[in-house]
Amino acid sequence: MTEEPKKNMEVTPWTVSGDIDYDKLMVQFGVQGMTDEIADKLAKHAGFKHLQLRRGVYLSHRDTDWWIKEYEKGNKVGLYTGRGPSGNVHLGHLLPWFFCKYLQDAFDADLYFQMTDDEKFLHRDDLTLEQAVAFTYENALDVIACGLNPEKTHIFSDADHIQHLYKLGLKVAKRITFSTVRAVFGFKNSDNIGAIWHPALQMMVCFLESEREGMNIPCLIPAAIDQDPYWRITRDIAEKMGYYKPAQIHAKFLPGLAEGGKMSASQPDTAIFTTDPPKVAGKKVMRAYTGGRDTVEEQRELGGRPEVCNVYAYYYFLFEHDDQKLVERELSCKAGEILCGDCKKDLATRIEVFLTDFQEKREAARDVLDQFIIKPVE
Amino acid sequence: MEDNSVITPWEVTGDIDYDRLVERFGTTRLTPELLERMEEHTGQLHFMLRRGVFYSHRDLDRVLDSYEENGRFVLYTGRGPSGPVHLGHLVPWMFTKHLQDKFGSKLLFQFTDDERMLLREDMDDGVTGHWVYQNALDLMALGFDPDNTEFIVNTRHIDKLYPIALKIARRVTCSTVRAVFGFREEANTGIMFFPSIQSAPCFLESEREGEPVPCLIPAGIDQDPYWRITRDVALKLGYPKPAQIHGRMLPGLMGDAKMSSSLPSTAIYMTDVPDLVEKKIQYVETSGVPDCCPIFLYRYLLLEESDDDVNSVYNSCKTKCISCEECKRGLTRIVNKFLACHQRRRELIKGSVRKMLE
Repeated sequence: MTEEPKKNMEVTPWTVSGDIDYDKLMVQFGVQGMTDEIADKLAKHAGFKHLQLRRGVYLSHRDTDWWIKEYEKGNKVGLYTGRGPSGNVHLGHLLPWFFCKYLQDAFDADLYFQMTDDEKFLHRDDLTLEQAVAFTYENALDVIACGLNPEKTHIFSDADHIQHLYKLGLKVAKRITFSTVRAVFGFKNSDNIGAIWHPALQMMVCFLESEREGMNIPCLIPAAIDQDPYWRITRDIAEKMGYYKPAQIHAKFLPGLAEGGKMSASQPDTAIFTTDPPKVAGKKVMRAYTGGRDTVEEQRELGGRPEVCNVYAYYYFLFEHDDQKLVERELSCKAGEILCGDCKKDLATRIEVFLTDFQEKREAARDVLDQFIIKPVE
Repeated sequence: MEDNSVITPWEVTGDIDYDRLVERFGTTRLTPELLERMEEHTGQLHFMLRRGVFYSHRDLDRVLDSYEENGRFVLYTGRGPSGPVHLGHLVPWMFTKHLQDKFGSKLLFQFTDDERMLLREDMDDGVTGHWVYQNALDLMALGFDPDNTEFIVNTRHIDKLYPIALKIARRVTCSTVRAVFGFREEANTGIMFFPSIQSAPCFLESEREGEPVPCLIPAGIDQDPYWRITRDVALKLGYPKPAQIHGRMLPGLMGDAKMSSSLPSTAIYMTDVPDLVEKKIQYVETSGVPDCCPIFLYRYLLLEESDDDVNSVYNSCKTKCISCEECKRGLTRIVNKFLACHQRRRELIKGSVRKMLE
């Protein structure tokens, strides 16, 4: 049997498509592979090993070991992640946010959470700035619903809170040339001047806590690997500016309900949104792409293929916390003992339960939203 | 004749042919009809208009239309706070003050400290903060109405500008700013974005009022390129195009086309002491041709309101009835008297300027 030719992989901060070859990405981006030692150390400080660490969601990093060591020396450490708010949040987005909560609790870290509504506006002609900003506050509810600590979480909108960001953004922008952003992000002369400016604003957040606290604080960025180019150039200028290089821990993409690529909000049917009515989400699951065979007979005979199954991926990344049960599910799928319909039904139930609970937390977040928004330095 | 002048907002060199600039930039000369219209609103025309110190415009007629209809427009100008103010800065400022007096217009005054930080290695916000205050004193000492003047210090008031700047930036490509400002590949990404920050105040009042408020920018004609881009995007964004009224630049002491802060020997600063002023003027090379003599042009463009006085100096020079030495002494007296008054007012308004900057 010959392998199907892989679809061309494209990974930039704006496009993730094709079949993702993570080994190749790691080489391409020049990052370090995740080690058991690091995962164990994170687990040690947290008191338990997060599902995402056990399942290899974080497959590469830069200087995460250093960041942990700084904490172990008794130094304050910080976290930074963010979101481009151009639509509703789907389950794929929650993965790193859950992980941020885990790290925040374990390392007593402040989390700076950037909403790049300005960037979304600059890159999309069909979006008004007011719409992008409205998504910031809607999406912030999802972030908060992940259980973050209001005293240690600083959510900000680039457009609404620019006064907290601009000066440091200027200092970064001064050190980032047009030719650098062209080479790294593929910008062209025909791109708008706002898009050219924005990378500096995304990079400056790596130094924001240090600047606000008046001392150098190591910053760890848990984010999908497609955002890595930003951190690469940030690391190049960090020390010249007197800051630590930001550390990263890179997540895989959560596969969508359609084949290939990461779950994408721009293809609504491929994604389960946190705002989907639970029943609607359940129906989406029932329509999902699976690793099943064409007929029941074939499935019984040949078994399913969990390795290419999006339903299995949901269990794997989010909805089966019990490692033993996960293995059992995988084995019985491969043995043709369970059929896709049953497996989907089970997942649909779990997702409905999850969404019902999450949506309650999300609504409750409206009342405390203000506590999570960045405040001026006293 | 070869035109060797280079005019960009950052560089003015060579001999400037102001007539040719109107063609090159595609602006419109102030017509006698338009001047007459101005006169109807201001009473006797300001000497800078009578003498063609301000001589070109874009859409000034529309601003007057709107003023006649709704009684309002907003004035906008600004400064990069990286050094002391000199006499050259005063040409547009004094004219702006005249417009504020006569039309009751609000002035938006932008301090582009962000641009200074982006372009100058040695400029951090401590340095620019100092100059913002010093420059604001020089501005307000000219008598602007503090209740009708709003300072926008970019790094402090970015929240007012950023949403508008983003809307502008989305409509402006890198090719455009590179063509207009000559940015190269090594230009930093902040300065490439900056034109949108400088453009934003043009639309600020319209945004605040929720209806079109025309904006008039009095400035040296060298600043025109900025506004061409702004004008291009204005209509797409639903704002009135910013109008301009363009002035000549005050020449430097060494005969340079423009008095410049970056060349201290070419400039008379507002804080210069009388002895220094005397010396600076003494060293000016004169040619005996008043039309291109800095000594004469300082009177003509800025310091001598009376047409009779300025004509008499002109004619005495032409007929060699007055020596350059004598003329220099005369100018020194005028400048020192002017500066003494200015410096006194500067001291008196410190409290109110501090309050404006809070």
